Amino acid sequence: MSLSLDATQLDRYSRHIIMDEIGPEGQARLLDGSVLVIGAGGLGAPVIEYLAAAGVGTIGVADDDIVERSNLQRQVIHTDENVGVPKADSAKQFVNRLNPDVTVETYETRVTPENVEELIDGYDVIVDASDNFPTRYLVNDAARLAGIPIAHGAIYKFEGQITTLVPDGPCYRCLFREAPEPGSVPDCATTGVLGVLPGTVGCIQATEAFKLLLGAGEPLEGRLLFYDAMDMTFETVPYQKDPDCPVCGDDPIDSIDHITYQDGCRVNITSEQ
Amino acid sequence: MDLTLRFFATFREIAGQKVVEKTYDDDLTIGGLLTALEAEYPEMQEELLIDGDIKPQINVLKNGREVLHMQGIDTQLEDGDTISLFPPVAGG
Repeated sequence: MSLSLDATQLDRYSRHIIMDEIGPEGQARLLDGSVLVIGAGGLGAPVIEYLAAAGVGTIGVADDDIVERSNLQRQVIHTDENVGVPKADSAKQFVNRLNPDVTVETYETRVTPENVEELIDGYDVIVDASDNFPTRYLVNDAARLAGIPIAHGAIYKFEGQITTLVPDGPCYRCLFREAPEPGSVPDCATTGVLGVLPGTVGCIQATEAFKLLLGAGEPLEGRLLFYDAMDMTFETVPYQKDPDCPVCGDDPIDSIDHITYQDGCRVNITSEQ
Repeated sequence: MDLTLRFFATFREIAGQKVVEKTYDDDLTIGGLLTALEAEYPEMQEELLIDGDIKPQINVLKNGREVLHMQGIDTQLEDGDTISLFPPVAGG
């Protein structure tokens, strides 16, 4: 471990350090760690907040949106005065005020097949806090090729789906081979979303990111966690690696060059090589 | 036989309920059940089955296990089984 903790850090992170499961070594590991958060919206906000508070040394924030007033009902790191500011910049301002130990790398861009490899390169963990199917499939595919784990979370009105995709476990396509047709699963702007829902789901994603960085606990691997805010129930459904999975099955892809991530939600894999 | 059907996300809205208890004829497969659901709920038509198989965009679980890892559409159902139906969601 390249870092040693100074007196301020020993104070700031004392509630981590006092625990045997983390200790000064674990905290140093967090300070040395890097997490790329894709999306600084409802899910990304609590993820960024807790990663920063806990002293994750490098947080990447990829988002091409600007803060809108209608975001503030749930996207708790952004403020009224930042309406109109790029979300990546607003997130960076928030983190800088919270914890000077953290370096924020901002990527004010949409994640595309052209930039994804460069974007994720070198990160220890990716948190998928995006809001659309093409990005989710693209991030899954590229992260699998790069061997980077993903803490995945997605929300719908009062429900959340959370799972963790580790390099040797099942991937997102093992669970959902294809994206639904555009429009068949509406987005938050169309359906609305309970403001606190992404808080709960994002906090679970952040928890998974911490465990991956620390190499501690049992990741939510091969399990899809359903959260129902109205019933206040959590259910875990096991799922397996699919041998026919085009990305991680018996005949896996070796690049994303032949995959088309269309503007809508459908993701086509073309067969020509 | 009696089955417990559990719907998530968009399927929950179509069914208007989260959990439904239903009685079916004794000899029933997943394919038969999905066909019956498509007939009962017009908005589920073409959302569950395509070309005689389960649509690749949805998940069907029998007692918490994905039926694709059993006999797929031919998976036999038994009295007391719980079937869960869910699509992926993408909101963030």
